[in-house]
Amino acid sequence: MQRRKLIGFALPLVVNPAVFAGSICHESKYRADVNIVANSFPVIQHLAKVAKSCASDSLKVNVKLTSKVQNEVEIAFSSSGKSPFDAAVVSASVFNDLYSKNQLYSLKGLVNKFKDQHKIEERMIVRMNGDPMAIAFMQNTQVLYYRRDIFKRLGLSVPKTYDEMFATAAIIKKLDPAIANPIAQCFSKGWDLATEFTNVISSLGGRFFHEGTALPAFNSEQGVQAIELMRQMLPYMSPNALASNADDVMNQLQQGRAAMGVLWASRASRMDDPTASKVVGLIDFAPAPAARSGGGTAAHLWWDGVVMPRNGPNQRDATFAVLMEMLSESSVESGNDLAIWVRSNFKPGRASTGVKLAMEAGAKIWPAEPFFNLAHLQLGKVLADAVKGLRDPAQALAGAADAYKQSAIEKSFLKRDLA
Amino acid sequence: MKLATFLKFTLPSAVTMAVLLALPLLMTIWLSVVNCSPVLELQKTEQTGPFGSHVVTAQRFKVDANGQALKSCQFVGFDFYKNILGIQSISVADPVDQKLPTDGHNEFLSALSFTLLYTAVTTPFILFIGLVLALVTQKISDRFKGLVISMALLPFIITPVVGALAIKWLFRDDGLVFNLLSHVGVQIYWMSEAWSAKLLVIFYGVWHVSPFAFIVLYAGLQGVPQDSLEAARLDGASKLQVLWFVTLPHLAPLTIFITLIHLMDSYRVFEPILVLTQGVFTTSVQFLTYSILLDESNPYKASAASVLTLVGIGFLLAPLLKRTWSEQRNAR
Repeated sequence: MQRRKLIGFALPLVVNPAVFAGSICHESKYRADVNIVANSFPVIQHLAKVAKSCASDSLKVNVKLTSKVQNEVEIAFSSSGKSPFDAAVVSASVFNDLYSKNQLYSLKGLVNKFKDQHKIEERMIVRMNGDPMAIAFMQNTQVLYYRRDIFKRLGLSVPKTYDEMFATAAIIKKLDPAIANPIAQCFSKGWDLATEFTNVISSLGGRFFHEGTALPAFNSEQGVQAIELMRQMLPYMSPNALASNADDVMNQLQQGRAAMGVLWASRASRMDDPTASKVVGLIDFAPAPAARSGGGTAAHLWWDGVVMPRNGPNQRDATFAVLMEMLSESSVESGNDLAIWVRSNFKPGRASTGVKLAMEAGAKIWPAEPFFNLAHLQLGKVLADAVKGLRDPAQALAGAADAYKQSAIEKSFLKRDLA
Repeated sequence: MKLATFLKFTLPSAVTMAVLLALPLLMTIWLSVVNCSPVLELQKTEQTGPFGSHVVTAQRFKVDANGQALKSCQFVGFDFYKNILGIQSISVADPVDQKLPTDGHNEFLSALSFTLLYTAVTTPFILFIGLVLALVTQKISDRFKGLVISMALLPFIITPVVGALAIKWLFRDDGLVFNLLSHVGVQIYWMSEAWSAKLLVIFYGVWHVSPFAFIVLYAGLQGVPQDSLEAARLDGASKLQVLWFVTLPHLAPLTIFITLIHLMDSYRVFEPILVLTQGVFTTSVQFLTYSILLDESNPYKASAASVLTLVGIGFLLAPLLKRTWSEQRNAR
């Protein structure tokens, strides 16, 4: 009888998360129609479910999940009218862009008002010159995934530099005929390839811009070295590597077709998903290799968080309540393995060590200059041909620098030389 | 016809076309010759977050009292066109520039060359496959016609992005086609070389659009005069001669129609580039416009790219439009 009662009480909690007691967003005072835009990877899908659990007769919650969140946010937040979205879930890169455009609403008032109520931890608050502009919920970086069983069987040690990684890949290719392409890495033309380049050039000690200016510095000796290093990796990768995005790389690792590769730490738990992976429990994680001996890990630190637009509709309290429900302790608890959460009640598992490893190995924070995305975009266009060997690396970088300068002039980050 | 009656008939469609076609086109042309850029101020910002704090010195947009970014707009003439076509050199006050000569690679010309290749190769293929499908469907039993037509139309009904994704999964590492070919000793990594990546995109184009040619030509076949066909057969014409001298001339206007539509569509090829190859070895004029608009967030330069696309379509369609115009005039 007692068990029946218990089931009768617990079942509605499982079936309908909206009956969770004590959630701020469920307070009947909120009468609003909250619209949120976000990316569509697993942890965000979890957040969307939590957000929708806040919905009631008076509070409507819509979450738009799209892979083009940056474009949607750029258009909505820069609109001369009211933004169709009350809030957005964005990465650090998009945040930097929005902040530089002065399009973000300061969360100072809301944080002061609700910090204790929502148990907002200080390290979750992203402050710009002391002003809270975002609430971060997850951290991310790129780490080395490697097959523990293969490394053990062949007596290999985990590579600490890319040179060691290539030597290790050559041995695996020679001794294990089942692994024709030992390395799987995100080399897809465009954003992925430019991100790899950013990681490598940074680890080589190169710079993207000249100090204190928007003038490009990636067209340098270190830039050429970075491309050459990436070119050296190609013989150990799938010949389709230049069209391999994070999904393809994850698939290659899960299907046991690759023995190692640098991939987003947030995807680590997917390696142990028995419905998609043939290598459950066989993959271990280490810091991404350094581009040179003694250099820092070739990876950057990222965070994802929630922001509100300066031109948002006037229903800030209700929106903030929904956002904080998404990032609440119970949300972290129920989605513990989906991300490397910032909240302190997160319980790191085997697959959640990435960020800690990267920080210890000297990973830097992803560049925050507002013109960085323009340079990143132009590099993404030329790197595939340069890495493939169809264009001279130095000339390809010079071409990207010229294209970047042109777009930076168009956006006023650089001044045209009229002399 | 009285002028008033004429206007009553034509004015609604003329106004609709002016509002929905001419006005946006004029606005696009206007946007392509201006540039609005933000007013910036240099600012030192200390960012504190999950990874501690760091300081960045960079420009930030100035805003007015209402929080709107201050912008400075100016007429730039054909600067964006010159920039896209690669005929304008960049000069920036850059004391540290290494002045390394570039290799003259031009993104627009690469995009244009693949767009033209795609258009030139897919057009005859879709006409030929569409005709073959139509002729075969014409011959089969009525019981199976509905099923065959539905099956044949599927690639055209499917959303282009979904269709491109399906093709990608078939051809990627471990995909069905990759595995089947591997079993017979042929191992092709489709996205690894320029020829195979281009072939894959062209294959997608033919697969996706042939059903359109098929259904139009099949409809046309229903209207071929039976007496002409019988007369040709009585005169001793072979099947091939009947097809060549009777059926095909009857289908000629439809062939021009399909070609016109496909030329316009193929010049705007976009989804297979975005999904199948992500621009590796293949890029198109439309893909370039999309990239400028959304990735560079530059609607002004993207407008110039759009106008150039329109000019390109105009050039491609000119001979066919001229022919149609002449036919219409002669028919009066």
